[in-house]
Amino acid sequence: MGDMILAWRNVWRNPRRSLLTILAIVFAAVLLVFMLSFQFGSYEDMINATVRQSTGHLQVQSPGYHDRQEMHLVVADAQHLVAEIEPINGVSNVALRSEAFALMSGEKRSRGTTIFGIQPEKEKKVTTLPRQIKQGRYLQKGDHGVALIGSLLAKRLQLTIGDECTMLGQGKDGSIAAALFTIIGIYTTGVDAVDRATVHITFADFNHIFFMEKAAHRVIITAEHLADITPITQALQSNPAFRSLTILTWDKLAPGLRQSMELDLISGIIMYIILVVVVAFSVLNTFFMAFFERTREFGVLLSIGARPARLVRMILTESMLLTFTGIALGTLIGIGLTVYFSHQGISFGDGGELLAQYGFEDRFYPRLSWMSACLGPALLLIITFFTALIPALKVPDLKPVDALRSC
Amino acid sequence: MYIILAWRNLWRNRRRTLIILTAVIIGISSMIVMAAFSRGTVQGMVSNSINNLVGHIKIEHQQHPADPAIEHRIITPEKLLRQITAMLPPGSRVVQRIRADAMLSTSREHVGLVLVGIDPDLEQGVSFIGRPPAQGTLFGNQNQGGIIVGRSLLKKINGKLGQKVVITCQGADGTNIAKAFRIQGVFATELESTERAFAFVQLHTMQQMLGVGNDITEIAIQLPDNNGNPPVDLAATTAFLQANVSDKQLLARNWRQMLPAISSYLEMFDGFMLIWYLIVFLAMAFGLVNTMLMAVYERMREFGLLQALGMRPGCIIKMVMSELLLLLTFGCSISSVAAFITVHFFFSSGIDLAIFAEGAEFWGISRIIYPLLTSWDIIAANSVVLLLGMFTGLYPALRATKFSPVQTMRHV
Amino acid sequence: MAIVTVNNVSRIYHQGKTEFKALDDVSLTINKGEFTALAGPSGSGKTTLLNLIGGIDTADKGTILLDGQDLSSLKKGELADLRLQDIGFVFQSFNLIPVLTAAENVEYILRLQKIPSSIRRQKVKAILADVGLADKADQRPSELSGGQQQRIAVARAVVASPAIVLADEPTANLDSVTGQKLLDLMQQMNTDKQVTFVFATHDKMVMDYARRVITLKDGRIADDIRK
Ligand SMILES: Nc1ncnc2c1ncn2[C@@H]1O[C@H](COP(=O)(O)OP(=O)(O)OP(=O)(O)O)[C@@H](O)[C@H]1O
Ligand SMILES: [Mg+2]
Repeated sequence: MGDMILAWRNVWRNPRRSLLTILAIVFAAVLLVFMLSFQFGSYEDMINATVRQSTGHLQVQSPGYHDRQEMHLVVADAQHLVAEIEPINGVSNVALRSEAFALMSGEKRSRGTTIFGIQPEKEKKVTTLPRQIKQGRYLQKGDHGVALIGSLLAKRLQLTIGDECTMLGQGKDGSIAAALFTIIGIYTTGVDAVDRATVHITFADFNHIFFMEKAAHRVIITAEHLADITPITQALQSNPAFRSLTILTWDKLAPGLRQSMELDLISGIIMYIILVVVVAFSVLNTFFMAFFERTREFGVLLSIGARPARLVRMILTESMLLTFTGIALGTLIGIGLTVYFSHQGISFGDGGELLAQYGFEDRFYPRLSWMSACLGPALLLIITFFTALIPALKVPDLKPVDALRSC
Repeated sequence: MYIILAWRNLWRNRRRTLIILTAVIIGISSMIVMAAFSRGTVQGMVSNSINNLVGHIKIEHQQHPADPAIEHRIITPEKLLRQITAMLPPGSRVVQRIRADAMLSTSREHVGLVLVGIDPDLEQGVSFIGRPPAQGTLFGNQNQGGIIVGRSLLKKINGKLGQKVVITCQGADGTNIAKAFRIQGVFATELESTERAFAFVQLHTMQQMLGVGNDITEIAIQLPDNNGNPPVDLAATTAFLQANVSDKQLLARNWRQMLPAISSYLEMFDGFMLIWYLIVFLAMAFGLVNTMLMAVYERMREFGLLQALGMRPGCIIKMVMSELLLLLTFGCSISSVAAFITVHFFFSSGIDLAIFAEGAEFWGISRIIYPLLTSWDIIAANSVVLLLGMFTGLYPALRATKFSPVQTMRHV
Repeated sequence: MAIVTVNNVSRIYHQGKTEFKALDDVSLTINKGEFTALAGPSGSGKTTLLNLIGGIDTADKGTILLDGQDLSSLKKGELADLRLQDIGFVFQSFNLIPVLTAAENVEYILRLQKIPSSIRRQKVKAILADVGLADKADQRPSELSGGQQQRIAVARAVVASPAIVLADEPTANLDSVTGQKLLDLMQQMNTDKQVTFVFATHDKMVMDYARRVITLKDGRIADDIRK
């Protein structure tokens, strides 16, 4: 007969009340575990989408290029650097990319666009673009004089597969750069800005047309896991070959992304705190009742010499037993629900269109992690504990005579 | 009678009533305050988009949305403009614009953007460009060679006020045209992407440059009272315009049609809010049932006695339910007032998301969020709690009818 | 040898503006091994006096010495320990913790005294046998009759060998036969184990059993008879 058993029996003196209290806590725990897994899952999707679509986990650039994309700010001898980066642990892919602004013209019309010079054999492994080709095919190694263009741009310039277009821009040295291309693929990413004003050509063609002298604007590194980013960054920083270059991680490359997640998380957490406080007040009455309906009993216990601290501990234990049972059950159910939906996915129906605009997929997959499984229940535990203290701390004020007189 | 009895019974255990009342009040007022903030955010998103050269209703050549080329323009719009103005409710604003894809070049940089020819006087209150510029001035009538660019664009091209830039675009006859402009003003908007996407020149400067006479590419209409709901039916007005414009080549669309994503989000929004109400309600429902159960069990003898004296079960149910009704009504009224005070006094100047500026930009929301309290949200939150709350009372009320006098006497 | 010494004790209740002296300048001494009843009409201050001696209420005037210790000089926690070690309580009713079995209720006090479990079990077993309820050890209070509950309460009060057991109307809720059995039990404890008992009571039978009867009236000692 430990104090634990005593508390446990006290909990079940009023089974209906205790069950309702546990249910309230279960409800909150399930919701928190599931929602946090859902949020963290979508963040990871967002990071991966951005990382795959454009930025990579890490980039090596010439200092200043990140702020102003000027043609002459290049990483010279880029191929040599790739050889330095590839052997680093955790690096899954290294690709070179260059960008320039140029006027693209079809037979009758023209438009200013961003031209990307890419290494198709490398980008193919990471970007989603190959899957977004709606007509024609993706670029291949060895392609020459061919281009991929966005679907809205194709419409605008009245171009289809096999048509020729001209490109007019400025080379790295400021001289005029001009070339003729055949369209071999048209892509629809769902992001209007990309579909309306971008063109992809091979890195070799770009190098040639814009007089890049084998330099690149960006060395794009994809890591195996998000956790690999820090060690890779450290490895690069300690390598003298990178001393005069800037190393940028995804959160610097796409600062809006990180902040948007923080904003979302903070508004989420505000909601969760409100929710938990409401639950805490809902169960506070139970905690109080456990105290008030037993005042006489506490009077007897105090009379026979139990110290008040012991009684405080006892009713705290009772409250916490309820809480723990609720949290344990709720967390388990929450985890189960999350695991189920992490295979199944959650469809947003009509909202898909909206999500596409932000670069999401139309199905969400909650993802369970230590963080998402523990954060909510921990919050619940802390707030409920402080709630349970409110009635428990009334015990030391209790005078045995008064307690004995009440019934 | 029931109400007085219920009121006294409620305060028999003051602490318990106060605690559950606190839960209810925190619940409902946070429902309403959160709704006000979410709605304010969405409203900001909507008005940002509408101000973003969209307008409530836009009329353009039917090919222009899919293929914004200069050949898809509105020819000699004067008569059409008069016609439209006559069809709209008083207080509506009608502006004409011409837009074309263009390239803006400095000696070192080229950027692609959309060049828009505007009549600056008419744009006031219709789009962001009608606001006083962040730097410099809006061009007057005499200044033919001035251009207004966005703050971010200026930074990107490393330019400054008064600097010359060259605009290249395609004229009506298909030839490329280049013309020099002087940066005369800088505009700033909520969204950085807008600051990069557009540059503005005088309407007839651009008409001359493109060689299109008086032609334009779009007519944007701002209906009166843009903050709340417009007083006229948006869809009906759009259909009416579409049916009555003389030129059958033209297409009238309202912002809901032009911004389908935001529009569908708005439609889902009320649903999201209801889900949030339900979740918070459930969180307090357990407490409600529990508290009512305690109140009922504590008066077990009393209910047994009343039944022994011949009170019908229906009356007992009524007694318990009126206590709950009173508790909830009390909670609802206090919460609504509390929410109102919170929104109007504590957050009247909005919440500044400056530290998340780029994150806000990502979601397309304004940097400062002003909560928007609507009667719909207040009514919806209160009804959810009242209706479903009464529902939760059924269980304790039915329990109360089950206490028989014999049983209660045994129970001490 | 005096176990309890009460010197000029008063206990005053304030009801609004008027004062009410529940005890008015009471002095008495109780020696080891006594079997004493506090008698007197309802409201005369019996319970008040018992509570003061037991250290669960505090006097407004005067001093109370228990085993030579001045109760008013003790802190809350020290008072609790004193009650735990030196005093046993038996109340009129609701003495027991409803979620604990009879044996566990008795054992609880030993547990508070941090006595090892093997000794605890022996002591509980012995005392339950003494009060004649060895077979009811695993029943909960709600499964016991009123008399049985009171006997368990007595067992709990004496199990830790306190200097004094204070019993407030222990027989008030019992019929006379059951009440008599309880009194026999306590008398036996008193003679066999030298446990000191003080009762507050209306019950004529208790006064017959008692070897000393102190009669209170309006908060003062009206009579003190030793048989
Ligand atoms: N907490 C209190 N507040 C005010 N008056 C009190 C309080 N406790 C006791 N009294 C008063 O003190 C007086 C003595 O009470 P006490 O309980 O000691 O009487 P008693 O002799 O035990 O009576 P009974 O035989 O009815 O148990 C009574 O008149 C009572 O009204
Ligand atoms: Mg008494």
